[in-house]
Amino acid sequence: MLLDRFNPVHWEWMVYLEMFIAGIAAGAYMVAALLEWSGRGRSPLARSAHALAFPLVALAGLLLAVDLSRPERFWHMVVQSHTMLPMFKVWSPISMGSMLLLVFGGLTFVSFVDFLISRDFFRLGGWRDERTLHGSAVGRVWALLGLLTAFGTAAYSGILLSATNIPGWGHSTLIGAVYVATAIITGVAALLLIQTIRGFIDEDVVALAGTNTWLIVWWLVMVVVFLATLGEGLRFIATGIASVALIAAIVLAGVVPLALRFAAGARSQSLLVPAVSILIGGLLLRFAIVMGPQSVH
Amino acid sequence: MADAMGFFTDTTVCIGCKACEVACKEWNQLPATNGGLNTLSGDSYDNTRRLDGTHWRHVKFIEDFSPDRSQAAWLMMSDVCKHCVQAPCLDVCPTGAIIRTEFDTVVIQADVCNGCRDCIAACPFDVIGMNEASNTAQKCTLCYDRMQNGLVPACAQACPTQSIQFGPIAELRQRADARVDTLHSQGQKNAYIYGKEDMLGGLNSFYLLVNKPEKYGLPASPTLATIRTAPSWLFSTGSAVVAGLVGLLGFRKHRMDAFAAARRSSTGEEQ
Repeated sequence: MLLDRFNPVHWEWMVYLEMFIAGIAAGAYMVAALLEWSGRGRSPLARSAHALAFPLVALAGLLLAVDLSRPERFWHMVVQSHTMLPMFKVWSPISMGSMLLLVFGGLTFVSFVDFLISRDFFRLGGWRDERTLHGSAVGRVWALLGLLTAFGTAAYSGILLSATNIPGWGHSTLIGAVYVATAIITGVAALLLIQTIRGFIDEDVVALAGTNTWLIVWWLVMVVVFLATLGEGLRFIATGIASVALIAAIVLAGVVPLALRFAAGARSQSLLVPAVSILIGGLLLRFAIVMGPQSVH
Repeated sequence: MADAMGFFTDTTVCIGCKACEVACKEWNQLPATNGGLNTLSGDSYDNTRRLDGTHWRHVKFIEDFSPDRSQAAWLMMSDVCKHCVQAPCLDVCPTGAIIRTEFDTVVIQADVCNGCRDCIAACPFDVIGMNEASNTAQKCTLCYDRMQNGLVPACAQACPTQSIQFGPIAELRQRADARVDTLHSQGQKNAYIYGKEDMLGGLNSFYLLVNKPEKYGLPASPTLATIRTAPSWLFSTGSAVVAGLVGLLGFRKHRMDAFAAARRSSTGEEQ
């Protein structure tokens, strides 16, 4: 049994927003990696993912730093302040997450620059789309590294919650798994939203929208298994406003897009509404999991 | 390396005088009020309420009364950081601010901590809290500065009943076992030691209790938070693999369907 808590952790809106944003970046980059390995690393969809991931990772890192009680010491997570040696503890989820975010940030930064080059942003003469990193053999290796660190970035914040003694979080080892699934569906949704707004709906986008239906089913399975195995921890997550958010998350990110998909049948379906619905649902899920246990004192 | 040092707190002789709390605050220059307010908790004689970043010692007053109040007992216990041999706070600290000293105690270095607050979440005893003066996580240091100079920690020095005993852990454990034997021989069969080696590798601040741990606000079986890290990574990997396969197969199927449809339409146009 975990002890009821009195000392607040104060992981609030900046934390669940960071998890949400970093998750979108990770999910989008996973799609880009998938496209890279399908030989479509320079497709418009992949380029949208390259353009999206880095700004979101940078914002997530900023939120994490600002949320510290001593933000000016954020670098202590990367470098030991006394010895200036690298700071890395594989068994500490925050230490692991800081490193993952750093590496993922570096990888996405290069992909972002690659995207800018492809758009002729730097005016580098002949160095244009046909000579960029992505779409080349090196791009495949880059995408693989990006895929692995994107997974780590998506998972670590959920694992961080499980590796605590806070009732609700410490009752489950599945939060990371739910977070990975959430990152993927929200990353896909963000890309679908961008492509819809740009009016750039090609075969990749249609295929991705169809694939997301199955990914949502997997996400729903993960959420249900997570809740069903929480045991006495359930009352700490499904409590008060968090329980409302949890139900709304399941409806918006799971039920609504699936219902719209099956209602549309063979007809072409608008991608805008399900994408927005998934994004709101994903944010609500993060809110419920992060804030539920902290509201019980 | 010096001997492992710690506290043995015999709750049966605690009289709730709070000299330990006062001595702790005096030596460590901790504020005596809650944010400048002298508010009463309404919880027995306990206005300290809890251990946190500015309360490193906390004398608990537990009123063990039967519903009809015919049976009444006070359980008093001076609580403190347990300085666990397998310390969850030390494990999760991402900055290296939490260290194990040469005395096998656990100390938070205020000049290194960046206030991520993960140690607060990891501690199974709810010991650590934020200190508003330093804006860092803080807790009992077992008077590391005093120990380095051969002095007894302030709380143990001030305890008038020797409820808080300080010394080498091996010696304290022998003393504690002997005390339990004495109490058993006197008919107090419910006396036992909380914090033996089977609990987080042993608590370097352990207790003699005469009731269930929960009665004292202590967890019956505290766990190392990071034992859930490896299984969590494993399940996360499983989730990613399944999602990846679903994604790959789904994407491939939809692309193939699109190609087939395009081919059908182009064939139809040619005909």
